Amino acid sequence: MNADDLAGPPTTPPGPLEPWPETVRWQPISRDLIWVELIRLGIGLAVALVVLGAAWAFSGHWLLGAAIGVSLLLSAWRTVTIVRAVRAWGYAERDDDLLVRHGLLVRRLSIVPYSRMQFVDVSAGPLERAFDLATVQLHTAAAASDARVPGLRPAEASRLRDRLTALGEDRAEGL
Amino acid sequence: MTNGQPWPPPGYAPPTPGDVSPDHAAPPGYGPPPDQTPPPGYGTPAGPQAQPWPGPVPPGPVPPGAWNPAPWGPPGGEEPRQRLHPLSPALHGAKSLVVVIAGLSWSTLSRVGFGWFAVLVAVFVLGATVLSVISWWNTGYHVVGRELRVHEGLLWRRTRAIPLERLQAVEVVRPLLAQLTGLAELRLEVVGGGKTEAPLAYLGVAEASALRQRLLAVAGRAPAPAPTAAPGVPAPPAAAGRRLHAVRNQDLLVSQLLTPQAFLLPLGLAFVVAQFLSEGSWSFIAVASTLTAMAGVLLQPIRRVLDDWSFRLDAEGDTLRVHNGLLETRVQTVPLHRVQTVGVTWPLLWRMKGWLRLRLEVAGYSAGEPDDRNRPDRLLPVGDAGTGELVVAEVLPGVRLDALPGTPPPARARWLRPLSRAAVGAGLDERVFVARSGLLTRRLTLVPYARIQSVRVTQGPAQRRLRLATVHADTAGGAGAAAVDRDLGDAWALAAELTARARAARRADRPA
Repeated sequence: MNADDLAGPPTTPPGPLEPWPETVRWQPISRDLIWVELIRLGIGLAVALVVLGAAWAFSGHWLLGAAIGVSLLLSAWRTVTIVRAVRAWGYAERDDDLLVRHGLLVRRLSIVPYSRMQFVDVSAGPLERAFDLATVQLHTAAAASDARVPGLRPAEASRLRDRLTALGEDRAEGL
Repeated sequence: MTNGQPWPPPGYAPPTPGDVSPDHAAPPGYGPPPDQTPPPGYGTPAGPQAQPWPGPVPPGPVPPGAWNPAPWGPPGGEEPRQRLHPLSPALHGAKSLVVVIAGLSWSTLSRVGFGWFAVLVAVFVLGATVLSVISWWNTGYHVVGRELRVHEGLLWRRTRAIPLERLQAVEVVRPLLAQLTGLAELRLEVVGGGKTEAPLAYLGVAEASALRQRLLAVAGRAPAPAPTAAPGVPAPPAAAGRRLHAVRNQDLLVSQLLTPQAFLLPLGLAFVVAQFLSEGSWSFIAVASTLTAMAGVLLQPIRRVLDDWSFRLDAEGDTLRVHNGLLETRVQTVPLHRVQTVGVTWPLLWRMKGWLRLRLEVAGYSAGEPDDRNRPDRLLPVGDAGTGELVVAEVLPGVRLDALPGTPPPARARWLRPLSRAAVGAGLDERVFVARSGLLTRRLTLVPYARIQSVRVTQGPAQRRLRLATVHADTAGGAGAAAVDRDLGDAWALAAELTARARAARRADRPA
């Protein structure tokens, strides 16, 4: 994948996000999620700018002007990381479990066995729908397990959901 | 989960599978419509068919057997609704006395004087008692098919249907007041329930244990029938099980004296006395307030002593039975196949005695329960190494506490945890994942491979610089266990090994 994600020195496995390279085939998520995230960021920034700008115009305190500058800077930095974060997100279906990896600053890899699945959520917000995307989330009995895959095409999302439920029913052991 | 035979109560049609409808709709095959007709014996004779139960019934003469499980309903028909014990409202009213006094507080007492204070308390308690009488009158429960239905409420009528397939445990709890009056409270734990469902408070002891047996039988997990005791016997009937361990009360007292709170108490007392001596004013209010504050500090050790008094652990088939409590005796039944994690703790001050504490996490009990006394989490309040060994071997066969593997993280992890690097560690035993932590209070978490829900590997920015990562094993309910700051290659290998072992253990566990 993208080599610029490797900040540390080279390790025994090829990359910190990709263990077991010979057996796992990682699927990327749709790049359109970048736009969804960017628009979300833009909306948040616009709201913050309007509020801060109005307050600045009324009070004229220099701190508010500085806050506007800081939020612009943060947004610029976030824009860069959004692109990289979406590229870093990936999932892989193995025979018995689903692997999900994500995160740039704190990297996370979840390994969730199909048989532990309690239920599957497929959701799509208005922005995601506009870009023809959906999110699949797998729930287990443990609150800590996070297996969420955003940025899937609806067809792929329903395929994944059906596969997960089929495999889950097949091997259900619940608790 | 429940592969037992549905308990066939006489006069019942077999329950329709999947019927958990909590509403009043009568499923076909259940005989007469269950909830629309007032069963005879509840006040006035049955009115028109459409009259909802209980309806505006004047409190007529309650038949003497109304709270008795003896069947007095129409033979062959729907099981009649049972009332709770008629002493329940009085107990609820007495319970509210404490709340009322605490709510009015010392300052109110000083402002209005003792006479008015007593009047206020009496008014509030009387009001509470009247409310509980009304709620008692409108509360009823019965078993319908494979559900326990609890009806309650006068204005907001509520019917809860508790599917007994999802029943985890039934607990008989006896608070102090209930012990004095020979009553007991029945608590049901249901998988996925947000909290303890439907505390039936209060029933007669014999009735409570009979209902417990019956519910467990319907749930398909019938334990050996317990000998029922006559009401008035101080403890609920304990079934004949194999006694594993009984904690000596003396050890319990000493262990709670070896806590930071108990050590700080003399200092606090000296401070208060010095202050009063220097000021020379001993007002009643000030003393009472100080004592209340001190009681707050000491609450945890005192509560532990009260809760764990005469702690007994019995094995009964594949369940553990925990019996504890001084003022409030409780009997908790823990199915061993539901145990998710076992935690071992060595508090700093207990090390001179070589003592440890064992706790466990059970699935189905929510973590969000405000009062964690209701969760069966005690395995051993205090004990020496040999006892700990024995109890752990009972819960997790083949696990030996003194021979658990564990390796500390690599030496470069000292940049992240300069003091506790040697104290943390993780290892793979034959059946359990072992994680150690804690420098002063040493902790050990054991997670059976078969109970692992998912495996996660996380790596923060500092860990990335040092090529370290943390491996989490998640379990249902509770935090699971984490091997912190492992070498990256090691972490991947550990995650792969955990996944593989969890899969193998699940396969072995699965009933054919």
